[in-house]
This record gives sequence, structure tokens and C-alpha cells, in this order.
Amino acid sequence: MHAAVVLRLVPDIADDLEISESGNDIDREWVGMKLNEFDDHALEEAVLLKERAGASVTAVALDGDGVDKLLQSAIARGADRVVKITYDELPPLPAAAAVAAILADAIQALGADVVLTGVQTPEDAGGQLAAALGARLGWPHLSAVAGVQPAPDGLIVRQEHSGGYATRVHAAGPVVLGVQSASQPPRYVSGSKLRQAIGVKPEKRAGGEAFAGPVAMVRRLAKPASGGGAAMWKGDADAVADQFVALLRERGLLKG
Amino acid sequence: MPMPSPLAVLALIAVAVLVAGYRARVLIAAIARAPAAHRWDQPWQRLGFVAREVGLHRRLLQIRLSGSFHLMIFCGFVVLFSAIVADFGAGLFPGFSLHAIGGDTWIALLQDVFALVLLAAIGLAIWHRFVIRPARFAGSRTTDATLIYLFVIAIVLSMLTEAASGIAAGNVAGGWRPVSGALAAALTGAGLGADGAAALHAGATWVHMLAILGFLAYIPGSKHRHMFTAIPNIFFRPLTPRGVLPAPPEARGQVGISKIEQFTWKDVLDTASCTECGRCQAACPAFAAGQPLSPKKLIMDLRDRIMADAADSAGPLLGGTISEQTLWACITCGACMTVCPLHIEHVPKIVDMRRQLVEEARVGPGLQDAFANMQRTGNSMGKPARQRARWTKDVGFKVKDARKEPVDILWFVGDYASFDPRAQRITIAFAKLLHAAGVDFGILSDAEQNSGNDIRRAGEEGLFQTLARSNMDALSECTFQRIVTTDPHSLNALRQEYPALGGAHAPVLHHTDLLLELIEAGALKLKPGSGATVTYHDPCYLGRYNGGFGAPRALIERAGYRLHEMPRNRENSFCCGAGGGRIWGDDTGVTERPSENRIKEALALGDATLFVVACPKDMVMYTAAIEALDVRGKLAVRDIVDLLELAEA
Ligand code: SF4
Ligand code: SF4
Repeated sequence: MHAAVVLRLVPDIADDLEISESGNDIDREWVGMKLNEFDDHALEEAVLLKERAGASVTAVALDGDGVDKLLQSAIARGADRVVKITYDELPPLPAAAAVAAILADAIQALGADVVLTGVQTPEDAGGQLAAALGARLGWPHLSAVAGVQPAPDGLIVRQEHSGGYATRVHAAGPVVLGVQSASQPPRYVSGSKLRQAIGVKPEKRAGGEAFAGPVAMVRRLAKPASGGGAAMWKGDADAVADQFVALLRERGLLKG
Repeated sequence: MPMPSPLAVLALIAVAVLVAGYRARVLIAAIARAPAAHRWDQPWQRLGFVAREVGLHRRLLQIRLSGSFHLMIFCGFVVLFSAIVADFGAGLFPGFSLHAIGGDTWIALLQDVFALVLLAAIGLAIWHRFVIRPARFAGSRTTDATLIYLFVIAIVLSMLTEAASGIAAGNVAGGWRPVSGALAAALTGAGLGADGAAALHAGATWVHMLAILGFLAYIPGSKHRHMFTAIPNIFFRPLTPRGVLPAPPEARGQVGISKIEQFTWKDVLDTASCTECGRCQAACPAFAAGQPLSPKKLIMDLRDRIMADAADSAGPLLGGTISEQTLWACITCGACMTVCPLHIEHVPKIVDMRRQLVEEARVGPGLQDAFANMQRTGNSMGKPARQRARWTKDVGFKVKDARKEPVDILWFVGDYASFDPRAQRITIAFAKLLHAAGVDFGILSDAEQNSGNDIRRAGEEGLFQTLARSNMDALSECTFQRIVTTDPHSLNALRQEYPALGGAHAPVLHHTDLLLELIEAGALKLKPGSGATVTYHDPCYLGRYNGGFGAPRALIERAGYRLHEMPRNRENSFCCGAGGGRIWGDDTGVTERPSENRIKEALALGDATLFVVACPKDMVMYTAAIEALDVRGKLAVRDIVDLLELAEA
């Protein structure tokens, strides 16, 4: 089994965000970038597949600022190989379909038979990348994945749905997975492993042709309008606690 | 009964030595095959230190009673060694005696007197252990201690009886032996004849020799090993500055320690030297907080593991012999190492084992978050680097960026002082004082990262190296004369750890040093303070690790306050509980937080209204402790900077 994991750097949305002048993006100049949290889980699940079923793991990412460091950390985590995909041009806020077009050829050329990536990112809130990759590759895709088990003839994929429901899907052939959570929390990678990985130079591969079809675009970003629902409680801790208890009671969350 | 024949004595000695050697074999083998530790440098300095430390009993006497009777026993053993020489000499070479050098005069007198001193000391020790029963003995082996008392009593009594019966039989001169002489008179008075006395003399000589040889054979399996290992252990103590944690040796081939055989011979000697006195346990804030860590128990467990000589059957070292919770409980305050009379090194062992846990990702969630944040952003809070200098917006003047222009003083601000609102207040106040004093200073701004001091102690060696290199690179690109910081943890890293990694040797000051200097030079003029009574908490990494005891106290006085010391001060300060990465751990199993224990100590002074600190983490820890204890009306936390009010110009 050869698992390709797609990793993406995304703006750290724990920062204070500003909307850019164009009105359809955030001001990126001062925003820190970090590995997309769901991609982190996808990488963990791939490394677990390596440990449980001997899969080989290749981490891929679109070329860009900070990507070498990102891919080196994937090596420290247990990826066997890291590849950055170069491309000619991408719009400033590329839609998943455009990214998938660049990635799919390279992934196919690598000989991967399962692709894992995060179910969504702050920029791909609709979770389209896994689906678009599936479409490009002509493979089935599964989202909301919460763990993968190796089976004799493929994979057993667990999907988690709202309301406490889960499904187990038997994927017998190549498949693209949008991972929501790994079967165990992503492991910590020590600084000394990271330091060892600093020497690794990611391979470069040219991506596919840019996508020419129509894509979704962000037209406008806006800060949430503040509603009238907030009430400020004043007074010392006891007074605030009393009000809090009263509210819980009023909403029926507290009995007696 | 005849006197022992030379052959019999020789045979007995041989048996005792064989038994002792057999019992010591595991230890000797463990030391012989353990990895290297380089402890032969500066032998004369080492010897001088041993002489002072053993001769003056400095650390032992910090606990008056037990220190005193230990000194009595120690002197008794030295004096009574002459009796051993005399007895075995005569036993092996009939006719041998110490007569020529005073064996029947002053040596005899000393032996008699010190026999009594020894008996008195053992009496005190027994009373101390079984009646007073100090808590620090909890977990020590009582049977071992009891057997040792019995051996010593047997040795002394048999020696006295031997001398007394010798006097009664006319074989031994009694003039210089007041005690044995009196005993001889009593024996004769009780009707002991010359023959009986001679028989008793021979018998007592036998008993004396057997007791001594029995003791010798017993020692290798007992805490009394320290008779032989204490002096070498103190001799081989580390001479590196206290604030430098040893880096993992290349030869180990891995960052941490996962197997008992990976400890160096000095570590093995440490464990073999522990007397189970429990001083470290009594000083340990983690132990006091009800955490599953006793530094004494840790050393004893490692020792038992080494002595078990069955490494593979004994289960894992980490999570087996030493539990993970034990390792994570340590605050690396260094109190244990400061009080241990044997100079045993607890903290490096704990950190070496933590390093392995980190490599294996066996880390709690809080610590893991802090580590991951630091990998990503260079600070434990995960704040974007560019926010590090945000506090400068509120100082009312422009703080220089030392990367862009030369400065006289480079201020290394530190994470808490930069980001935590409770500590930021002090950061701003200190900046204003520097400005008022006309100091030319600047900061590294977003090029500064966490100093790595606590990260290293939490066992994340690789991350420490990365952070240290990054800071050292940033510093090397700036022009400055001296470094200042308000954070003792950063102080320790910059002053001690970075130079050990090859960093530049610029002088590193704590803000209390600099402030005192400015006041003394007249650059800062203070308003007279209220004269209120305050107490002061020595931060571990300023005080114990860097000797910064004087400046904070001088400042308190200069600011016009009266200092009422807490009982645990200076070297014996009691850690707030934040060090060594504990600030990122959780409080599971903590019965009393060290910070709350400390606040109670301050409250017990009765008259101190301010709890003065000199570390941004202390500000955070003690503010929380005062809230938790709900004593806001009685005691308030202040940084020293808060006490310094400028006189109107
Ligand atoms: S360093 Fe402090 S917390 Fe750690 S074992 Fe020693 S005394 Fe206890
Ligand atoms: S380690 Fe030192 S202080 Fe602690 S019990 Fe042993 S000898 Fe005493």
C-alpha cells in the first residue's frame, strides 16, 4: 500500500484576523501559517497505516513559503518520502478544484493507491479537496473519516456522522479519504527528531496543468455582525456566579 | 578461651573480605561497566572541597541534632580505627602494639573518651529515629539502620570490655584509660579474678574482632556503604556551574536514558552512596505537594534496580522502576541537590529519563501543547511572534529594536513577561524605570524566542537546542554591552547554558542587579517607601542556581521597606511550583500546591503585608495562590519593581 498525504499550510485563525483591502481575503501580511489541523490527523492516520500494515507514506504539498519545513516535520513524524509540487500559476485564493488539478497527476505518477487529506481547512470550509481529487483521479472518495483499519483486500474506513452515528465502509480499491480525526491523537514529535529531519531536502515534482473550468470564488468576507445576545454580568465572583446559576436554571439546564 | 591465633585472625579476615567482596560484586561490576563520566579534572580543588565538606560537616549540620550526632559518630569511628589497628595488628603479628606512638597514653585516652561519645551519639540516633521519628525517614529502611546501631554498640562495648578485662588481668596499662579503668575496678569489685579476667579479655577480643568483621561484611548491602563511598562521591561531584544541565553524551547514541545500564559510573556511585537520610525528600516541594515523587525514593529505587542484577527480568525502567508521574512531578528546583550531604545529583537523572519519554512522545497534553506551540511560534502560549513586542505600545516612548541599532543594554524579555497580562504590567514598569534612568536599551522584538531553560529541564533537548541556537543567532547580530532580563529562567539560560553551547559571554544581569546599580549610581532617585513590612521569595533560578540573593534584598531596603524573612529563604527557598516545565503540567494528585504552601509560610510571619517576588512566573503563580486561599485582604504579591517609586523630579 502506498499512501499519499496532502498537507496544506493555512492561516492561523487563532490570531486576530483583518480583512484585506480587496474585501475578499484576510490580510495575510501578519498572519502566521500553520499545518491544517485535519491534515495533521491525516498524516497521523497514514503513519499508523505504515505501522500497522507496512504502507509506505509520501507527504505532498504545493510548493510555497515554509513548505520545506512543513515536509521535514512530516519526515520526523514518520513519512518515508516528501514531495513538493511545483506549478506555474494559481489564483490568490485557489479553489479546491484548481488545487486538485495540480496535485492529481503528481499523485498518480507517485503510484499512490490511497490519498489522505484533511476533511476541510479554514479556506476550504466546504471540504471540497478530497472530493475534487477523487473526481480528478477517477477514484471514490469518503469524507468525515475517523479512522482507517487495514483489511486483507483494502481498507475498512470508519466515518463519523452527527447524532452519534457511524458507518464502516469497505474500500477495496484506490480511494481518497477526507480525514476528520485519526484513530489516535497526532503524536508529539520531539525537537531532536525535527532537528535530524532538517537535513532532508524535499523532492520537487511538476504538477498538472491548471484547471480551466469554472471554480467557486470568495466574493466578500465580513466580520460577524455582533448580535444583541450578549449580556455583561457585573459584580464580584459570588454575584456573577448567582446570575450564572439563575440563567442555567431559567434555560432548564439545572434542576432543583 | 585463648587469644585468637594469627592463623585464626587471618582466616576470619579472609572470610569477611570474601563475603564483603561478594556482597559488593554487583555494585563494583555496575560501576566498572557503566558509561564514562569525566570527573577527574581539577583534583586539588576537589580534594580541598572534600576536606572542608567532610571536616566541617557543613550540610549535615544544617539539621542541628542529626548533624551533631553524625559528627560524633564520625569522630568516634576515626578514633576507634586505632583500636582496630591495634587489635588486628596484635592478632596477626603477636607483639604488635601502638605503644611507641602513644597507644597506651593519649591514644588510649582518646579511645576511652570517644567510646563514650560514640555510645552517646548512638543513643541520640536511636532516640531520634524511634522517638522523634522525623518525617524524612518515611520510606527509609529501618531494619538496616537498627542493625548498624547494634553493630556499633557491639564494637564499642566489646572494645571497652577488652580494655577493662585487660587492665583487670594486668595485661593492659590502665593509667590513661579512665573509663575502662573504672569498669575494671567494677569487675574486680564484683569478684572477677585474674584468670577470669584473662579469659574475659580473650573473649572480648574475639567478640570485638568478630563484630568488626561482621560489620565489614554487612556494609556492602547497607546504607552504611557511605563510609566508603561518601568521600569519593563528594570528590567526583560536578564542577560545572549549577545552572548548566549536562547535554546527552554522544556515545549514548540516544537523547535520553531508557535502560539502567545507561547511567554513568558516577550515577551508580550516587545511588550506592545514598544514606536514606531523607533530607532531599523533606526539601522537595513536589513531595510536599503530595506528588508521587520523593528524590530519596527515586535514588533508592534506581539503586535497588542496579543491585537487582537482573536487568531484563525487572521490567522497563521508565514506567516500571520509575513511574512516568514521578518523573513529571519534578520542578527541577534543585533543593534536593542543595541539601544532600553526599552531593548526589538527582535532577540530571530525572531529566535524562524525561528526555527519553519525550523522544517516545510519552508526554501529557499540557506539556505537549506547550512544546508544539514552541516549535511553531517560539513561545509556550502559541502567540504569534510579532505580538511579542506588543507591550511596547503602552510604555509611552519608543523601545529600540536592537536588531536595527546598537544599544548599551539588550533586554531579553522572556515569554511570560512579554505575553502574560499579569506579568506585562511589571515589564512596562521596568521599561519606564530604565527610560527614567536614561539607559540606552533595546529588545530583540519578534526575533526573541523562549530561552529554552524550562524546555530543556522538561526533557525536550532538541527543542532547547533549536531555541537556543535561534536566540544565539539573533543576539550575535546585535551590538550591545550587557544583557538584562526580569526572568530568572531566561537569566539562567543566557548566563549559563548558552555559553556552554558556545554562545558569546556577554554579562547577563537580572533586573534587580541593574536597578540596584542605577540607584547606587544616582541615576534613579526613589521616593521613600511606606516602611511596611514585606517578605521576599527567592526564585530558584535567580537564587539557588545563580546566587542572586543580595540585590533584591538591597532593593527592598533602598525602597524603604522592612524585610521579614520567611524561614525557608535563600538557598533553602521553597519553589513556587512552576519550574522545569511543571507550569504546563496538570495538578492531578496535588494535595497542596507548592505556591499555596509558600503563601501560608508568609502569612505565618504575622506582620508581612506584601509578598515580594522577582520573577514573572512568580507573579502569576502567587497571584493565583492568594486567590485560591482567599487571603487577598491579608497579603498582596508585588514585584520588586512595584516597590520602586520614582521621586518627583
Ligand atoms: S529538583 Fe526539586 S522538585 Fe525535583 S526532586 Fe529535587 S527537590 Fe524535588
Ligand atoms: S539522596 Fe542525599 S539527601 Fe536524599 S536521602 Fe540520599 S543521602 Fe539523603
